[in-house]
Amino acid sequence: MMTKINNSVKWLGAALLFTLHSSLFTSCSDFLQIEPREIIVLDKYWDEEADVEGVVAGCYSSMQTEAVISRMMVWGEFRSDNIVGGKNFENNIQIANVFKENINASNTYAKWGDFYNVINRCNTVLRYAPQVAERDPSYTQSKLAATIAEVSALRDLMYFYLIRTFRDVPYITEPYLDDNQKMDVEASSFDDILTALTEDLESVQSTAVKRYPVAQPYYQKGRITQDAIHAMLADMYLWKKDYQNCVRYADMIINEKLIEYENKIKNSQLSTLNSQLIDGFPLINDNMSTGNYYGNAFSEIFGTGNSSESIFELVFMNDDDMLANAAVNSFYGNATTFPGLVRPADFIGTDISDEAFTVFMSKNDTRFYENMQPVQGQSNTYGINKYTTSSAMVDLTKAEIQGSYGSTYTEGKNHSDWIIYRLTDVMLMKAEALVEMAPEGESEAERLQADTLLRQAFAIVNAINKRSNCSKETKDLDWDMFSSKSSMRALVLAERQRELMFEGKRWYDLVRRSQRDDNTSFLVGCVSRKGTSGATGAVSSKLSRMDAIYWPYHIDELKVNKNLKQNPAFGSGENSSIVKN
Amino acid sequence: MEMNTIKHKFFFRRFLILAFLLQSSIFNLQSSICQAQIKNVHGTVSDDMGELMGVSVCEIDGTGRIIEATTTDMNGNFSMHIRNAKDKLRFSYVGCKTQTLPIDREAYKIKMTSQTTIKEVTITSKKKLNGGGLAIPEREISYATQTIDMKEFEGLGLTTVDEALQGRIAGLDIVANSGNLGAGTSMRLRGASSISTLTNSNPLIVVNGNTWNVDMNNFDVTNANDEQFAQLLNVNPEDIASITVLKDAAATAIYGSQGANGVIEITTKRGSRGTPKLTYSLRLTGTYQPKGYEMLSGDDYTMLLKESYFNPQQDDGASDIRELNYDPTFSEYEQYNNNTDWVDAVTQWGLRQNHYLSVTGGGEKATFRISGGYDHETGSVIEQKQDRFSTRVALDYYVSERIKISTNFALTYTDTERNYDDLLSIAYKKMPNMSIYEQYPVGHPLQGQNTEKYYTMLQSAPSVFDGEQKSYVNPVASAKLAKFDDRTYDITPELELNYRLLGMDEDHHQLNWQGRVYMNIFNEYVDKFYPKELVTLSWNNGVNNANAASSKSVAFNTKQTLTFIPYFANKDHSLMAMGRFELTSGSSNGQSTDATKLPSGGIISPIGGGRVTGMSSNFSEWRSMYYTFSTHYAYKGRYMVDFSLRADGTTKFGPERQWGYFPAVSLRWNIIDEPWFQKLVGVNNDSEEQWISMLAIRPSWGRVGNQPNRDYLYESIYSSDTKYINMGGMKPENIRLTDLRWETTTTWDVGFDLGLLNDRITLQAEWYYSTRRDMLMENVSIPSSTGFPTLTYSNVGSMRNIGWELNLNTNKLIKIGKFFADVNFAFGNNKNEILTMDETVLKSLNSDFDYNNREVLQRVQLHNPFGAIYGFRYKGVYEYQYETFVDMSNEERLQFVAEGHTAPYVLSETGEIVVDDENKPVRMMYNYSHDATGKNYEFQGGDAIYEDINHDGQINSLDIVYLGSSLPKLTGGFGFTLNYGRWKLNSQFNYRVGNKILNIARLDTEAMSSNNNQSKAVNWRWRKEGNVTTIPRAMYGASTNYNTLVSDRFVEDGSFVRLNYLQLSYSFDQKTIKRILGVNRLSMYASANNLFVITKYKGVDPEVGYGGYGASVDGGQTPRAKSYTLGVTVDF
Repeated sequence: MMTKINNSVKWLGAALLFTLHSSLFTSCSDFLQIEPREIIVLDKYWDEEADVEGVVAGCYSSMQTEAVISRMMVWGEFRSDNIVGGKNFENNIQIANVFKENINASNTYAKWGDFYNVINRCNTVLRYAPQVAERDPSYTQSKLAATIAEVSALRDLMYFYLIRTFRDVPYITEPYLDDNQKMDVEASSFDDILTALTEDLESVQSTAVKRYPVAQPYYQKGRITQDAIHAMLADMYLWKKDYQNCVRYADMIINEKLIEYENKIKNSQLSTLNSQLIDGFPLINDNMSTGNYYGNAFSEIFGTGNSSESIFELVFMNDDDMLANAAVNSFYGNATTFPGLVRPADFIGTDISDEAFTVFMSKNDTRFYENMQPVQGQSNTYGINKYTTSSAMVDLTKAEIQGSYGSTYTEGKNHSDWIIYRLTDVMLMKAEALVEMAPEGESEAERLQADTLLRQAFAIVNAINKRSNCSKETKDLDWDMFSSKSSMRALVLAERQRELMFEGKRWYDLVRRSQRDDNTSFLVGCVSRKGTSGATGAVSSKLSRMDAIYWPYHIDELKVNKNLKQNPAFGSGENSSIVKN
Repeated sequence: MEMNTIKHKFFFRRFLILAFLLQSSIFNLQSSICQAQIKNVHGTVSDDMGELMGVSVCEIDGTGRIIEATTTDMNGNFSMHIRNAKDKLRFSYVGCKTQTLPIDREAYKIKMTSQTTIKEVTITSKKKLNGGGLAIPEREISYATQTIDMKEFEGLGLTTVDEALQGRIAGLDIVANSGNLGAGTSMRLRGASSISTLTNSNPLIVVNGNTWNVDMNNFDVTNANDEQFAQLLNVNPEDIASITVLKDAAATAIYGSQGANGVIEITTKRGSRGTPKLTYSLRLTGTYQPKGYEMLSGDDYTMLLKESYFNPQQDDGASDIRELNYDPTFSEYEQYNNNTDWVDAVTQWGLRQNHYLSVTGGGEKATFRISGGYDHETGSVIEQKQDRFSTRVALDYYVSERIKISTNFALTYTDTERNYDDLLSIAYKKMPNMSIYEQYPVGHPLQGQNTEKYYTMLQSAPSVFDGEQKSYVNPVASAKLAKFDDRTYDITPELELNYRLLGMDEDHHQLNWQGRVYMNIFNEYVDKFYPKELVTLSWNNGVNNANAASSKSVAFNTKQTLTFIPYFANKDHSLMAMGRFELTSGSSNGQSTDATKLPSGGIISPIGGGRVTGMSSNFSEWRSMYYTFSTHYAYKGRYMVDFSLRADGTTKFGPERQWGYFPAVSLRWNIIDEPWFQKLVGVNNDSEEQWISMLAIRPSWGRVGNQPNRDYLYESIYSSDTKYINMGGMKPENIRLTDLRWETTTTWDVGFDLGLLNDRITLQAEWYYSTRRDMLMENVSIPSSTGFPTLTYSNVGSMRNIGWELNLNTNKLIKIGKFFADVNFAFGNNKNEILTMDETVLKSLNSDFDYNNREVLQRVQLHNPFGAIYGFRYKGVYEYQYETFVDMSNEERLQFVAEGHTAPYVLSETGEIVVDDENKPVRMMYNYSHDATGKNYEFQGGDAIYEDINHDGQINSLDIVYLGSSLPKLTGGFGFTLNYGRWKLNSQFNYRVGNKILNIARLDTEAMSSNNNQSKAVNWRWRKEGNVTTIPRAMYGASTNYNTLVSDRFVEDGSFVRLNYLQLSYSFDQKTIKRILGVNRLSMYASANNLFVITKYKGVDPEVGYGGYGASVDGGQTPRAKSYTLGVTVDF
């Protein structure tokens, strides 16, 4: 009996001890290692091609966020003469301060973190993709090289935005993984970064994807191609004042587009509408079949998207579970709020009715009717139509030329693609480079050379301008009016303003011009045209300083990065000290 | 894998040794008795009065386990079969001394003696503290601790434990989070001591040695803050036997990283032997909201607003707002011509009933205690309701003298119906000329009378009401129509096995093993619905919104404890040692569904046919492992040494830093027991009355740690991102923290214990010095050029806390006949200082002044305490316009200034009027800058005057000065108890002294820059030239004026004394009660809680929580309700 009880006691103890000890902790260190669920850790990642593709897609989708695109818009255009405050913009102090040129270090648009987020993702791919190539036999060296070209281009594009906005920025090419990496990186100069970017792109451009599989119709314009890299190079060389190279790369693209066009003709895939070359350039015809209606090119490029003129655009799929173009939705407006936070400057809106023609050269420029949409019930007030509707049509059948517009995207559901580069942009880059290449010497040879170059530039501008001219009579520009280098320079820039209006380019054009002139007088002249609420004088004096056309570093950034030196136009960015009595 | 097998072997061997020990000890006992075989025994049992019936006769074996048992019959006879003659016979009877005899004969004649008549009794048991560690006699405790026996609160109308602790523990500052139902409290032991934990530096709660293992981090309900300490709500105060607060690191080190903020150990009541005792208690409590600010009536309000709109533009057009015009032609006229007291409309008398029933009892083999409580409460704000059901079962089963099995089971269910919106704060802002119900319009026969429909401002109302009045829901409608239901289930089953492996008493070596398994199950369900009647949005903008969320957490904890108490032949030595191994693992998952556009009419579930707008789920898992070693040595009961070491293993750090080690040493010297001291003060241990009964000094040193509250920090995580075209996106989520270290706190503590007059007065004093290193801070900003805005955690610096505490308690201090009285006092003071801090962290903690109204500045400086308040100095209101002053002659101006009249002129440092080249007085400006980047505001008559500290003719950031500290100089409480016969009067006060509070709530009610209702104080506002007042003029618009910059106008002294409770109780004479009602005990009481607060503070309640490293700000949270309670307790 006793033994029986002893046994049961023993077994009870044994059972408790055993279950507790052996089943629960097989090993101390193992016990304290928890495998995360729903998330993947670095050690388990970067094994196969799909891992690479996932982060590459993450690079693109992070560029599609409102934070990034809104900055492309604010930085690239809002300080320019194109844009003024729209509906209730006064309530958005950050935006209101941009229009007042009252930008300080605490303005939220001075935050660059989201661009560096893209950069860090790209750097991460660049670090780990070679490892995948070693592990996954189906991920070949050529695929690896294409990936490297693709993410390098994305990273370089982000840096290109940053230097055009802030001038000098930290240039980081390694991914951040550990907390013991150096984080307070000092800024590198504009020129050094630009050189690094062009060198980087030159080295990868040949391995970039030329054509994506036909089965993926959105990849060709929605992802980086060799064309996209060439467009970036043309743009960068223009900023670098290396005009030969700019022209070289622009020509590559124009030729590529021509080949594309000819192939399509051969396979007769092109509708009759688009089957014409305009002065030898494969531009989409804006004219609709009857001749009385225009808007075809506009609807193709900005409405449908992925047009034949497109080189690189961020694709927003018509899918509610994916990102919508939130920046356009709030800035340019939607079916509920139109205009949005911003609208075209008044002098652009009244350019034709007042017959001022400061921007558009005639009332026959269809871009006036396409880019802007009158706000109902308010005379001479326009909202931005580009990107906010799926189509626009210019109607010549009435006494006055009129625009008619497709329905505005509903709030939060704007799915129009955001275009980074398209053909006319590159063509005008080439035109700008040609103008700058024109010698100013008095010698006959020089004059002859200048004449050739300027005529080439003129041909480009004329083709683009002609495409959007709905006049029944002559459509060509008058060469005599633009035969000098300075007038041609002005024409190219003006054509860029008309053609690329509201695409986040105008302010950068003015900054590039200021860099070239080494003064801001042209920029100030343009900006003062929009004459915002009597503060013009203060704005002009503020912008008279070269430093002031860039952005200040954000105060939060200065606080944590002691190696950043604030742009002198914006002071130290910190409050004067608060005394403690 | 090999590692595993080795470990397996190791533990198996350990188990074998244990089993061997077990068996051999039993074997020894078996062999000690050897007798002739006896099969049956019989006999009689009697006492002085004669034969006894019902005496328990048991055969017990060597381990004390009962083998056979019987009871005596009416004549006191018994007879039973014996299984083993080596066993013993035991006779026991209630009230008599138990006798144990060897089985050496067949017939027994036993005479029981009464327990009370036994002359020679040596009481060897000492009062011991038994929390999570060793049971150390109270006189030998060498660390800083304070215990409250809940007997003191018996029958007191307390709903929660924290209410009982308030003001009783020196150094423990308790602040109610808000007066909402189910809202908890924040506790701070010895001051705010870390940055990361500032918002959650509540002490660790240990219930019966178990900690709350459920991780609630990832479940975010709207009122998450309120939930923080809700776990305390889940222990019914009636179930608590005692509460011990462990304060210094030496005491908390056995809890390692969990105990860094101090530990509150709660012991619940257990069963006791005897006839079952049934207790029922009932409490009825009425609660109401204390009176807040007096708000304007509808008439005063409209007059103010008209002025406020007129002033900035001096234009009647600006104030032409139909809602303020009392124009009968306006279609909504009847809705805006009222005098509604919104605050009154949303408050009420709340009623709480607490029913509580407990049964305790037990016999030889088992004791039990079963309790159940049901509470029903309606809030002092309308439509708040809480039901709580809690039950606790404690069972101890004595298998034998060696083995005891205990089980605890506790369940708490709460069902809280909250308000969807913060009604009280809306009520203070809502325009009072608006009606609650829609009223019949002009021309209707019932014009001006209420319809059944709640009124909500139309979306077509002027845009000046956008974002404020238009978005303020009708609070009465929200209370009645919206739904916010929160249900929680908290279940904690526990099984414990105690085994005495060696000796059973102090004359033998004792080795006790305790194995314990504890589970923690916490489920929470939240359902919310917001009907379309509450908003005037169109259907497409999303109305009829619902949310359903649930979270389920399970944690499993096991503790294996071995305690060794060796026997020393030399009684001068005593030693105890304990080793413990503990494992915790748990997981939680939750999901949440949002939907909108649900069909109207009763459907309130998100899956009821609307559009699902959001679905989310989460999962988390945590594990930890602890080793604890603790030992206590005493020599002659005079010199004590304690040492403990705890090793914490956690999943929060990377493999290299997984383990933290936390040692502690403490000493105690009972000076009182030194013969020389006794000679010196003339007392000795034998005398009955000692004027000094305790004097001891207790130095200690210890280190505790702190860990982050997130997992996977040391891993680079990849998570999914939005798709691009058709490619699934992935992204790197974080920068992994390879360098993250444990936060450690090292504390030196010196304590004194003093007992006077036979311990009728006991006094404890503590002084401490603690240094926190490698402070953990969450979300530390880093350069965003890294691609990430923050590091999840970082060790950012170190800080120091120095403080002292004093605690005085009495035990029948004054005793005159049937009257006796007691008092208690507690004081505490803590000073903190930042010693080092990462420069960039310091910079990002310090805010920049943006020159806006209501902007609270935060400034953290090295070698300064947290909680400093900065702002301008307020000097009243400019009586006259600047122009009036300019138009005066020089003499008039001088006289004007000499008479103390004010206008926006500038005075130099020497007090002279500053004039420009044209002898025109310089005008006072606000934030002037030449390039127009400043505000460049010109002060006018009726504007606030701020002191121009540096006399530069403008008010800017250079005029901001230090206005005081949010940290109290002294916190604590005191109370007294008066007893007269069966009457008892009990009271407790708590107080804070010397802290400043920034009263933003008052600022908002006196700002006059929006359409929000304002307090009656604004009736004294500046209206026309020459008015002398301290309230500036009414100016609509956030940037039209700078009258409500943070200044000393709104910084108030937060000192207060609160009467926490006052209670009068009466217990009826037991014999009388027994005779008349047949019950054993009946007591009744009446008490008042939070009866009054003595304070200069102008806000509703000076008990405002600390504001982290910034200022302590009163944002106008729901104040603690006042209440009156009636209660009755009956024992059957």
